[in-house]
Amino acid sequence: MGATQTTPVREASRSGLQDVLARVPRWAWWTISIAIAAGFPLLNLAGVVETAWLRVGVVSLIFVLLSLGLNIVMGETGLLNLGYIAFFAFGSYTTALLSSPKFEIRWPFLAVVVVSTLVAMVAGFLISLPTLRLRGDYLAIVTLAFGEIVRLTIINLVPLTNGPNGVTGIYSPRLFADAKPALEGVQAWFIIDKPIEYYYLVLVCVIVLAVLLTNLKNSRVGRAWNALREDELAAISSGITAVRAKMLSVVLSAGIAGFAGALFAYYSNVISPESFLFMQSVIVVCMVVLGGMGSIPGVILGAIVLQALPQLIREAAGAARSDFEVYRMLIYGILIVVMVIFRPEGLLPDKIFRREAHEVDPRELEMTRQSLFDLEEGQKDLEV
Amino acid sequence: MSFDHIMSVTIGGLTVGMIYALIALGYTMVYGVLKFINFAHGEVFTVGGYVAAFTLLALGIDQNSPWTLVAGAVALALLAAVLVPMALGFVIERIAYRPLRGRSRIIPLLSAIGVSIVLQQLIIIIFGPKPVTIPTLAISSAAVSFFGVNIRVLALVIIAVSAALMIGLTYLVKSTRIGKAMRATSQDMEAAEMMGIDTNRTIAFTFLVGSALAGIGGLLVVMYYGSLKYDAGFLYGLKAFTSAVLGGIGNIPGAVVGAIVLGMTETYGVSVDLGFLAWFVVAGLALGLYVQMVKAPQRRLAHIADERRTAEYERSIMNVYRLAPYHGIKTLLAERTDALLSVSAAHGVRLMAGNVFLAVVAAVMFANASMRIDTRWQPVIAFAVLMVILMFRPSGILGEAVTEKV
Amino acid sequence: MSAILELQGVSMSFGGLRAVDSLSFTVGENEIVSIIGPNGSGKTTTFNLISGLYEPDSGDILLKDESVAGLRPDLVHDKGISRTFQSLRLFTNMSVLENVLVGMHSVTSAGTIASMLRLPSVRREEKAMYDKAQEILGMFPGRFSGPRQHQPAYSLSYANRRRLEIARALASDPVLLLLDEPVAGMNPAESHEVMEQIKMLRDTGYTILMIEHDMHVVEGVSDRVIAMDHGVKIAEGTYDRVANDPQVVEAYLGKRAANATA
Repeated sequence: MGATQTTPVREASRSGLQDVLARVPRWAWWTISIAIAAGFPLLNLAGVVETAWLRVGVVSLIFVLLSLGLNIVMGETGLLNLGYIAFFAFGSYTTALLSSPKFEIRWPFLAVVVVSTLVAMVAGFLISLPTLRLRGDYLAIVTLAFGEIVRLTIINLVPLTNGPNGVTGIYSPRLFADAKPALEGVQAWFIIDKPIEYYYLVLVCVIVLAVLLTNLKNSRVGRAWNALREDELAAISSGITAVRAKMLSVVLSAGIAGFAGALFAYYSNVISPESFLFMQSVIVVCMVVLGGMGSIPGVILGAIVLQALPQLIREAAGAARSDFEVYRMLIYGILIVVMVIFRPEGLLPDKIFRREAHEVDPRELEMTRQSLFDLEEGQKDLEV
Repeated sequence: MSFDHIMSVTIGGLTVGMIYALIALGYTMVYGVLKFINFAHGEVFTVGGYVAAFTLLALGIDQNSPWTLVAGAVALALLAAVLVPMALGFVIERIAYRPLRGRSRIIPLLSAIGVSIVLQQLIIIIFGPKPVTIPTLAISSAAVSFFGVNIRVLALVIIAVSAALMIGLTYLVKSTRIGKAMRATSQDMEAAEMMGIDTNRTIAFTFLVGSALAGIGGLLVVMYYGSLKYDAGFLYGLKAFTSAVLGGIGNIPGAVVGAIVLGMTETYGVSVDLGFLAWFVVAGLALGLYVQMVKAPQRRLAHIADERRTAEYERSIMNVYRLAPYHGIKTLLAERTDALLSVSAAHGVRLMAGNVFLAVVAAVMFANASMRIDTRWQPVIAFAVLMVILMFRPSGILGEAVTEKV
Repeated sequence: MSAILELQGVSMSFGGLRAVDSLSFTVGENEIVSIIGPNGSGKTTTFNLISGLYEPDSGDILLKDESVAGLRPDLVHDKGISRTFQSLRLFTNMSVLENVLVGMHSVTSAGTIASMLRLPSVRREEKAMYDKAQEILGMFPGRFSGPRQHQPAYSLSYANRRRLEIARALASDPVLLLLDEPVAGMNPAESHEVMEQIKMLRDTGYTILMIEHDMHVVEGVSDRVIAMDHGVKIAEGTYDRVANDPQVVEAYLGKRAANATA
């Protein structure tokens, strides 16, 4: 059955170019991608592209971190989180308070990043305690409410957060708290304040995170998440502790958002509640949906396409910011609808991508669409 | 805390509650039939309000217009606020939801979020990003004196219109052919189809009715507040959804009850002193204690198998509820216990924790009796209610789904 | 023969309905016991009780003299009971191999951080899991060989999905294997093959409790048969004894038919 039967269908349905592309091994794709990403700032040094483009690159990479984090809950574990940006906010504000003139504190970079990550993880842990038993759509709405409460609290808690004005003057990352002025030459290496430095810092983080998450995905832990997504009842009957595994995925993804938030706060110097609107959560959801839920290369591509491309177009076209935002969100909205109806597996679907060398039957793609996320039907056929 | 103040706060709460109810009905009906959260419903409401406002603006009426002209203009605005959202609801269902039918819960929700964003941006593109404002009309500012309290006529109109629409809707669902088809579809779509019900038509009809109600809500909000912003639908939609869940989603009377409770909570929450609000918490605590001490153990006792029903066993069940700090926790920590007993202990300890929490809240409120919650926190109230209800009682006050009641 | 599984007067009601009523039986080591009975007789509820999906209202369930009644399903699995489902419940978007690897969850231990870093211990464990999976999939010759292991489970034929469910349940080396209608929906040739495999599993040392409607299979593999009706055990013993028990005949065919045969 299987392979022998589907082969003709495959050959008939695929063009020559796709066939060639499918044969390029994975490591080659990764090498090419990293080379392009690492080489991009050199164009800036050479004067080919403006520094503004480099700034777009930094923000895009921060969003790559965010969508990698959201992918853990949404893609791997199958839990829709509509308040994901709240964890980003936890990370950002922790960084802002620990490294700004607001309270005149300047902790070293690594300590701040670690604490920001931990704060977001604790928030994720606390919110996951009472909510993880909820069914999918209710969980989505609860997380949305959580995100909004966090944002409104930030706005209202003026003594701590400066309310709508935000925290300004966040210091540049300094690896050690007391870099001696005497070591001028060395100190330059320890302070990160130019876009190109941020770019490489975040790029390294992205690469490391992508590797770690790919390892995790293909491990016992990642398989347990996927099993919970596919069929919760069968998963717990196979020895997986559902609450613990789900909690781990929520906490881990919250931590990644907190980490990204710390980098974002450092990079932008100023943070305000406007960066943590519900729309931002939706944008990250959109990145994951576009790239392919559960696919690490997919969500990286999704984040870059949705964050960098519009900004680059805007830079090139010189459009007014407000108009541009409206059309950008309009397109995002349309994209979500179109993707879930016509290509729910995303641009770079993970499993199919990996197995292309063996088989792809269009009918089976159809079935993938059918069964992604169909887990709550579970309880039904537990008949008497 | 004067009578005047209480009275005007109550009417205010009832008014916003009734507006939430109009929108909540759309959520609850669609959820009842499709088990799906129509996230774009709030935007349909906004569109209704915008269309109504622009109709009034286009007709050029103002404070000095004769009342016949105003009445005619409002009637036209009403027509527009019903028809445009209906068309919109119909199209949305066709394009974005119908292809996804049968895929469970999350995927259609994503699509609905997409639609909601698209609608919001389209409103900005078509009508501009500034809030739409209508001229003050005599009808909007008229007030009557009621026991010496000035009340806006429009508030009374909103309450009356909403109540009438809800009674009509209940009749529609309970006693008409299409209502029967709706109930059948919500119970089992396949079976309904086999019985010759056109489920597609029924679902489309559900969207039409829900959208029309949201549109009317939009008109009333524009008239009452005089303006509407393009993103108003997000907050109104979530509050309406909160109402629907609060009352028990899928349950039409529940949506109304939930909306009134939410409207009152929000309004009272920021308008009266904490010392006064605390009495409501005390009432909640009394109810919670009644559940813990009387209601819950009674219900649990009914579950005991006959051959095990001994006085001693019954007493141990009672104890894990009534003496939860000792017996309940002891039972929970025990290596191995009787199944019914351990479930009861977990329940008892949960109830106790809830009651302790309420007591602490009440105490804190009494301690700060003269303070008042700042209005800045008002939206937080609705979100907090939403989270609490979904986490602790997702079936709502009146229980889920109208079908179970019929 | 020492008992692997022992049910002691287990009862479970749904509302007013006694789904399982004071059920007691044992399953000995290296034995195949089949539960038969008409639809709604409480067989699957019994399975759900044993595997921890339900908590019994009363009575106790012992696995090797240790109570597992009311334990969470994942902990029951840890204790060594694994099961298949009547309505196939595979992880459909995961590959055949991954399905089996998930079955090993409770007998492996790689943690989050170690997995992220892919430490040598994790690699060793993954390698061992992979070898073990090959061994288990190899029990179904020609069904899951080579590239087919990397196909998603949804691409499998119906019979292969049932086989894969068994393979997943075997992956944790269970003390007791619960099979819920392992040949449902199979043609005679396929069910015969599965029957042979079940016998082979017993021969390699597994203990099996099985629900089955196909009397041919029940006759072919069972050391002992338990018949249930309305949540009550109505007969127990060898296949021949149970099949000829008047109460069993009555449960299946109704009173009049039972009188006619008697």
